[in-house]
Amino acid sequence: MKLDPVLLEILGTQLQAVTEEMAITLARTARSTYVKDAADFATALVSPAGKFFAYPAAMGVSGFLDLDCGPTIAAIGTLEPGDVVITNHPYESGGLSTHMPDLQLVKPYFHQGEIVAYGWDFIHSADIGGGVPSSISPRFTELFQEGLQIPPMKLVKKGELNADLLTLYRANCRVAELNLGDINAMLAALTVGERRVAELIARHGRDTFAAAQADLVAYAKEKALAVQRKIPDGTYVFADYMDDDYLTKVPIRIRVAMTVKDGHVHLDFTGSDAQVLAAYNVPTGGVRHPWLTLKLMHLIGSLDPSVPLNHGLFENITVFVPKGTVLNPEYPAAVGVRHATAIRINDAVVGAIATALPGLIPAPSGGTVVPTVVSEPNHVTGTRNVMVVQSLVGGTGARQGADGVDGRDSGLANLYNTPLERTEAECSVVIEEYGLRPDSGGPGEWRGGTGLIMTIRVRNPGTAVLGRGLERFVFRPWGVAGGGPGAPCRVILNMGEPGERDLGKLDMYEAEVGDRVTILTAGGGGFGDPFARAPQAVARDVRAGFVSLENARLVYGVALVDGAVDEAQTQRLRAARPARPPFDFGPERDAWERVFDDAAMCELSARLLRLPASTRARARSDIVGRIVPGLADVAKRGLVALVDHPQEQRERLAAEIAALPDA
Amino acid sequence: MRRYRLGIDVGGTFTDFVLASTDGGEFAFHKEPSVPADPSRAVEAGTRTLIEQLAIAPGDIELVVHGTTLALNAIIRQRGAKVALVVSRGNRDVMEIARSRMPNSYDFTAPRETPLIPRESVYEVSARGLSDGSVLTPMDAGEVAAVAERIAADGHDAVAVMLLNSYRDGTLEREVAATLAAGLGDMPVVASADIWPEMREYERALVTALNAYVHPLMAAYFDRLSERLAKLGLTAPLYITANNGGTVSLETARARPVDTILSGPASGVLAATRVAGHSDLITFDMGGTSTDISVSRGGELAFTHATMIGDYPLMLPVVSVSAIGSGGGSVVWCDPQGLLKVGPDSAGADPGPVAYGRGGTRPTMTDCYLTLGILDPASFNDGKMRLDAEAAAAALGTVAGEMALDGPVAAAEAAMRVATAKMATELRKLMAEKGLDPRGFVLVAYGGAGPTHAGFLAEEARLDAVLVPRLPGTFCALGAILADVRRDYVRPARQMIDRAGKGFERIRALLTDAEAEARAWVAREGAIIGAHELRLTCDMRYPAQAFELAIAVPDADVATLDPATLVDLFNDEHERLYGFREAASDVEITNLRLAVVGKVSPIALAGADRTAPPEPKGARRVYLAGAWHEVPVYARAALGEGAAITGPALVEQPDSTVTVLPGWAGRVDPRGNLILRRSHP
Repeated sequence: MKLDPVLLEILGTQLQAVTEEMAITLARTARSTYVKDAADFATALVSPAGKFFAYPAAMGVSGFLDLDCGPTIAAIGTLEPGDVVITNHPYESGGLSTHMPDLQLVKPYFHQGEIVAYGWDFIHSADIGGGVPSSISPRFTELFQEGLQIPPMKLVKKGELNADLLTLYRANCRVAELNLGDINAMLAALTVGERRVAELIARHGRDTFAAAQADLVAYAKEKALAVQRKIPDGTYVFADYMDDDYLTKVPIRIRVAMTVKDGHVHLDFTGSDAQVLAAYNVPTGGVRHPWLTLKLMHLIGSLDPSVPLNHGLFENITVFVPKGTVLNPEYPAAVGVRHATAIRINDAVVGAIATALPGLIPAPSGGTVVPTVVSEPNHVTGTRNVMVVQSLVGGTGARQGADGVDGRDSGLANLYNTPLERTEAECSVVIEEYGLRPDSGGPGEWRGGTGLIMTIRVRNPGTAVLGRGLERFVFRPWGVAGGGPGAPCRVILNMGEPGERDLGKLDMYEAEVGDRVTILTAGGGGFGDPFARAPQAVARDVRAGFVSLENARLVYGVALVDGAVDEAQTQRLRAARPARPPFDFGPERDAWERVFDDAAMCELSARLLRLPASTRARARSDIVGRIVPGLADVAKRGLVALVDHPQEQRERLAAEIAALPDA
Repeated sequence: MRRYRLGIDVGGTFTDFVLASTDGGEFAFHKEPSVPADPSRAVEAGTRTLIEQLAIAPGDIELVVHGTTLALNAIIRQRGAKVALVVSRGNRDVMEIARSRMPNSYDFTAPRETPLIPRESVYEVSARGLSDGSVLTPMDAGEVAAVAERIAADGHDAVAVMLLNSYRDGTLEREVAATLAAGLGDMPVVASADIWPEMREYERALVTALNAYVHPLMAAYFDRLSERLAKLGLTAPLYITANNGGTVSLETARARPVDTILSGPASGVLAATRVAGHSDLITFDMGGTSTDISVSRGGELAFTHATMIGDYPLMLPVVSVSAIGSGGGSVVWCDPQGLLKVGPDSAGADPGPVAYGRGGTRPTMTDCYLTLGILDPASFNDGKMRLDAEAAAAALGTVAGEMALDGPVAAAEAAMRVATAKMATELRKLMAEKGLDPRGFVLVAYGGAGPTHAGFLAEEARLDAVLVPRLPGTFCALGAILADVRRDYVRPARQMIDRAGKGFERIRALLTDAEAEARAWVAREGAIIGAHELRLTCDMRYPAQAFELAIAVPDADVATLDPATLVDLFNDEHERLYGFREAASDVEITNLRLAVVGKVSPIALAGADRTAPPEPKGARRVYLAGAWHEVPVYARAALGEGAAITGPALVEQPDSTVTVLPGWAGRVDPRGNLILRRSHP
């Protein structure tokens, strides 16, 4: 490092504060709900090469620390003082924007005619046009349905707003004025950053400013390496599944081979499924990308909370993502719901880390985010009132030494919930229950966090309850090191009443007045053998109602009499301790993989990549559909019943693969 | 005959006292070591000392105003009562889920908050209201009586009741609370609608539960306190400082202890606005374990409705104060990569800095002041505690060795730079949140270390003036006797209005109700109150807007309040902040916030006598701005009105040491404040 360590510490503080002041400015002056309530925005200072060297500690989205402005800047060519570049294009920006409501701005900061840094910010804007209000739906199959595409271009030229661009924007966006307010807030934040950077250069000098960028990155890299060295050398393979690709019932497989050598980590996503038709594709550009490395960032941030936030944190990581897969799709594959896939990428990387060293990282969380929406007619105005009742998550996974957190999950977004009183004031439904779901946390020496249970009673005729892109109905959040899986999600109509019915993945349910729709989210995975859980901890869980008396006995081997542990009986129950697998995936995945094993699926993926991008998804779903004909009914029949003659199904799969062009 | 007022502030380490005559003629202060096991003992001892010092009769004291961190500490250390929470069926996990957020997005080892009330102590009843104030399910008296039995059997000390939608109409909830109380004898039962009827069930349950949580503890303490003061012969009424910068009677504090939890910092800010006169202030309160800043403009306190008490959000209006560091006890250390860090660990009051010689081994900011010569080992804390300069230097020398710095002085100076840069960036962010430019603001320094560090912070943050009050070490106790009586009320409205008066009848009805409650309260609050005034703030927004603006209504007369004025005020403020207005749109009033302020006749603040040009009492070598200086040391007591000094210099006073940096000059104003101003560009 070039700078003295005292000055570097001070500059680290001051540069981060610049990004935080930018974030404060943006949040204070923006108007839309995404910014105000969900804090779906971010700010950063960017090196001349396009990478982030300073980032806020706790404002806005934490996960975008390793984005790359390089391709966006390169696409523009010459930049002049007062210019601001805008883009939302997932492909043209090289993955800077990963779906189109995310508007990205980049502003060059000059000193004596030379670019010394850039300011960056983004917001999730309320709407960018396209096929539905708010522009996101899993059923879209092409970028063209997802709204206005803005390749990198100048929003501001030498201080003058590009009026033509804004006219085009206004004509393509449902809530243009609201969004323009947010764009003004973003511009104000970039101006604050510019002023503060100029002040820092005036004070410390240009050379020190440049040296600080390099030194802070080197410093983060060194700290990150120290953490990653805790992962033993070797190669660790892990895969996880999304239940389906929305348009069909065929699961999406994410596979990672993590190779670790002296703290350097290589993530190879070869073998992940080919790109899908629905909007689940993750446009990473095939390079190291925040959506691929998020869990490594969490590992580093947890084991060394003092690591400075800049791209150095990722500089000991390399990746390979084959083009044409769901993690590196080809234009114009739809990408709107890429965050659902990102959750499963996280789970796969967690699995690889847990394979290397169980206990280094928590078991997977409930693995789903369910924005539950109510759409009801306003009988006076004739319009429809649409509102998010609650964003439901599962619990977090257990880890060595700690239970998971019940009913919360900060894994992807760390959002506030909606008070029931606000929901009930703004629409006609009654939330009869919003609580923790008993017996849903993955059992273990350390218990996974419970999922949630929410019951909506409908009171207005013509009301629909929506929950799109629900996950973890089939493939459960798995247990680690002897721990069991969390309970899968369910949606039940009129639970506990005559006529109770399983609604499967909700999507959209047109309710009758008096209907009660109950959504149960998945629990987090357990860690360690449930028979090793302290009996007093089990007794406490029973007392609090997290675990039933029956499961205390069956799953944990703990006998309770009047709430107190019966030591002798517990000892007897625990005498024969069955061997537990290192990962417990639940019966569905075990059955599925008796047919669709790793070798076959890797071969299938490789061969599908030989087909034209536009036909891959169809070819894959056709093949799987022929091996498992009843798959469309999986909600009713259950996955285990559909793969009930694995030997024969394997053979047919092998034949199907052989019929594809040779990789 | 002179009348006196006594201000008392109970802190973790010291209990501070200020005794002042109302005519400004006499003024005394005292610091008594706190007695954590029974804080009222220190109160009694200190009060006796001051009465003896001024040789007055206890009956000459006309008012005692008291503040304490007792309740706050009980919450932070989870030592409150065993509270049962009663909720509507289906809402049992309101404490478990809270607002669903985790404390840290990067760190999966960071635990969530411990629920204030464990799941086993939450009881469900069928009684349930709707958002329009109607009853969905009425109370089942038998069921509630059975719950009361279980609550008693499970050994609870207090009960909080929070039924869904009770913010809209508290009748059903009060009915349940009354039925529970009937079955629970002396056990305190409190309904959320009576504590703070604002929408958001978690926050409302929490504020109600917090009240119940500290109720038994505070009631017992107030009893002991009253008893001890009476034993001393004091006949004056006792008031308690509140979160909102005001005070309340003992009676009110006993019923609503939650209103007093954060009164300490509020009193300090209130004192700053009173002693500095009407100007734009940034308060800088640096003690042994915390550093707090706040902003106030034009002598008005700034409030927030989103404070954290430890891990718990508090929805009550509280004087807005932000923590920006861990004070003089902040630990100075070197990380494995060789970077110098200050905090977040703190040596606290115990063991405290290395120099205290109480077993601390990690150097702190206080050790830095000592090593740089800013503090004098012999005169610290009025000479009552000798500091160990060699031990402090040795500990800093160890840190210097780890990072190849040239000895303890270099390490101390580096730590000062790092800590000051951090504070300045926090200050700048706070100003940015409020959309304010710090230039023109005066930094008011108090707390033991505030005056010591304020000059450095002002220099780094490019502030032009620092104000050090006469008694920075007992500033909160002073604030207590300068405050008015004050209580806040909220009425959720969620009412669309327009300029022509649509929807305004309901607003007027809600206000009339709130006003009646406020006036009735203030009328019962005691004879010390003269006139009273009402202050109205409306939370307003355009339909479906994601956030509200708080619009202060200048003349809060309900009878003449005019909807057009209100809508215009909102439109103007929206345009000022966001550059446009939607003049044709309806406007929604989400909450009405009413404060009643009972004026307490002000006391005259004693000025400083004029004295001859100041003579230093000595000199010592101090390392400042990168070099050793031989600087004059003045005694604060010798600096009368108009006294002027030039930096570099030090001013020692019993409760603090003031640093005057090179390029700064100090002058004592007529109120006795020492004002430091930048004399270099």
